[in-house]
This record gives sequence, C-alpha cells and structure tokens, in this order.
Amino acid sequence: MTRVTRVALVLGFMALASPLTFAQDQAQPSPTEWRRMYQMGLAHPSAWDLFQALKTSAGGGQVSPPFSQLPDWSGLWTTAGGGSLFGSAPGGATPKLTDTAAAFLQKGAELTAQGISYDENLSECGPPGHPRWLVIPFLREFIVRPEQTWLSSETVNNVRRVYTDGRGHPSPADAFPLYYGDSIGFWDGQKLVIHTTQLMARSMGRNQPEQSERMETVEIWEKADAATVKADVWVYDPALYTEPWYLQRRYRQVENGDKALRMNYWHCGENPNNDVHKTPDGNTQYTDFTFTSDDDRAQEQSQ
Amino acid sequence: MTIRIAVLAIFCVFALTTTVGAHHSGTMFDDSKEVTLEGVVKEFQYTNPHSWLLVDVTGADGKVTTWGFEAEGPSTLMQRKIRRSDFAPGTKLTISGHPMKDGRPAAAWTKAIREDGTEFYPRARSSQDN
Repeated sequence: MTRVTRVALVLGFMALASPLTFAQDQAQPSPTEWRRMYQMGLAHPSAWDLFQALKTSAGGGQVSPPFSQLPDWSGLWTTAGGGSLFGSAPGGATPKLTDTAAAFLQKGAELTAQGISYDENLSECGPPGHPRWLVIPFLREFIVRPEQTWLSSETVNNVRRVYTDGRGHPSPADAFPLYYGDSIGFWDGQKLVIHTTQLMARSMGRNQPEQSERMETVEIWEKADAATVKADVWVYDPALYTEPWYLQRRYRQVENGDKALRMNYWHCGENPNNDVHKTPDGNTQYTDFTFTSDDDRAQEQSQ
Repeated sequence: MTIRIAVLAIFCVFALTTTVGAHHSGTMFDDSKEVTLEGVVKEFQYTNPHSWLLVDVTGADGKVTTWGFEAEGPSTLMQRKIRRSDFAPGTKLTISGHPMKDGRPAAAWTKAIREDGTEFYPRARSSQDN
C-alpha cells in the first residue's frame, strides 16, 4: 500500500470512527480562501519566517497599542467549531503526515472503532496544552491589554499569555518545554498575530499522535462579527506534518444576560466520582463510585 | 415506586454526538442502549469537570439502589438551563441515560422529566470538538 493510500485510509477511517474529533463546522472558510491561507504556510519554511513576513506586511506591527485601539473581546466565549488538526479541510484537502504520525493515527482509529480510548492528558489531571487548546469545549475568556493578551479557558484553568510589548522569546539556550509554549505577538490593526514556540512533546489527545518540541504555530486572531472571534492557525511540526497545516477555528460569545455564568476554578479531582484509570486493554474506566459498593478494579483483576 | 427500564438500540453515530467528555472519554457507557428510571433525587453533585445527579430508585422488591447520572460541569449545564436548584433532594423525576457497560448503576445522563412535567436535556444535540 502506498503511503498516500495509507494516509487517505487513516483519515477516512478516523472521520467515521471519531466524529467528535474530526467534526467539521459550517463556519469554515471557502475552499478557495482555505487554499490561499494554506499556501501562505507553504510559502514560508518556518513558523518564525511566516510570523516575520506578517510583521513586515503590517509595517512592523503595533507594540503595546493604547486601550482605545484594542478590540473588545469581553464576555464569555466557547468553541464554535472549525477545522481540525488531522481531518480534511474545505475542498477535501488533507494534511500531509509523516509516516510515524500516519501510523499512529491508523492505530488510534482502530482503537477508537473498538471503543477504546484514554486521555493521557486530561484523565490524569494534566492540561490540554497547545494546540489542542484550540479545539476544546467549555468556557473561554479573552483579556486584552496593551502589553499582553490572556487567552484563557476554564478547562484546567489554563491561560495562554501572549506578550505584545515587543519582547522576544527566551534564548534557545534558556528555553524549556511548556504545555502552552511561549507566545509573543503584535497587533495589526484589530488583528492579533501570535508566534508560539517552546512547546512540550506530548500526546495531542485521545488516540492521536504526539506533537514534538519542534512544533511552532502562527495564529491571527480577530473578530469575525459582533459575536464571533476567529483564529487562523498554521501548525509547523516536522514530526507530524511534512508540510505546514492550516486550520481556522471559531469561538462564539455565550449568552449571559443575567451574568449567572462565570469562569470558575476547575479541578479534575474535585469529585471522586470522576476518578478514572487506564484499564489493561488501554481503555478508560471509572474507579470507585461513592454511591455504590462495586469495585471496578477488583472486577478487572478477577477477569 | 415502580421501575421502568427500557433498553433502546440507537445509532452509534447519534450517540457520539451527544456524549462528550473532557477529563475522560465516554467509552465506559454503552451508547447503543438507553435506560429510563423513575426515582427520587438524593444529591446533585454540581461539580467540574463532570456533574453527577444521584437518584434513589426503588425496585419491585423494595430495595433502593442509588444510580449516578453523569453530565458535563456547571457551565455547560447552566447553558442547558439546568441549575443546581432544579434538582433539590427529594425531587421526583423520570430520568434517562446511556448505561455503564460493566453493569454498575450509572449512566450518561441524556434527559430528565421532573414530576411537574419540566424537561431537561443536559447534552447538546450539535457536535462538539475534543
């Protein structure tokens, strides 16, 4: 089987087996627009090169602009869908994966089809990390200030800090892997342009491959309309993709007229009924419920 | 109180769009089956990352079994118009969900009808990511 055929089979299989992960939303760019954005990634050999090109086209970009020039992203937001990290794009294009990533996705698709999955991150109280952060559900809040923007999510109380005060990344000699990496950016009018590096090598999600420490991303965030913020994202990781991948994500403002909704502290160990463990066959199982005397671990050991 | 348990086969693809987990996947639930029970709320654990509605169900033999119905956390439930006060202890209801594969008395909560006729749907019909 050729590599192209294998990748196509993997993607097709996973699209059937895991519609949650690979769901495409109607709020996507047109195939023509998607292709144009995708080719912007192809035209630049690295995320840093793309970031610098965007900065040049923005006349150097704005650093620490006054509040009066910043967009209003206040309120609470949640994911409104968009492209995926491994699924097909508008027009049917699929990411060009490395052999390792394709093989992992194929294995993952087989496990998903068998109903087997375990989350190496969230099930163990770890954070989703970037770029998985882009696709997780639940509430988000965007805090825009001149010198930095906070992109936060209630899931594991994460905050991505994007520095827009003109600072650079830490020197490579002093850089160390981080769940959300190190993000710097500039403003191009009402658009926030972000470069992220220093990301940690780790699982990207259930039955999905590992991203590497070589991953870097470029994002352009802006309001698409009064109740929608969109993010154009280019992902570079030679361990995953043989060509940079492009996706667009959207976030809609949540109705909160009575202001009852709030971003609350989110601790995965808060309720023991949510404790799970990895079974011998690699699946997820609840441990011991407080409302029943049954002990699932004992059942597993007896089998 | 009588117990009514209806097991319904439904398409997996439909179930996959209604069972979404953060923290953990929903593979421990059997999305091809649905259980419907009548009972009395024992406790509403309105917690992150998942909430649990504990319901006491009395069998034909008079034995009371506590069932746990799992849903998303408070922010998702509030967007589905489900407040903690909607299910105070002692509330009588009919509740449905996808049961555990291993037979323990727990289910992924899909619907509840309170004794006053008010219906609640804790899971979105549209697909979510992750």
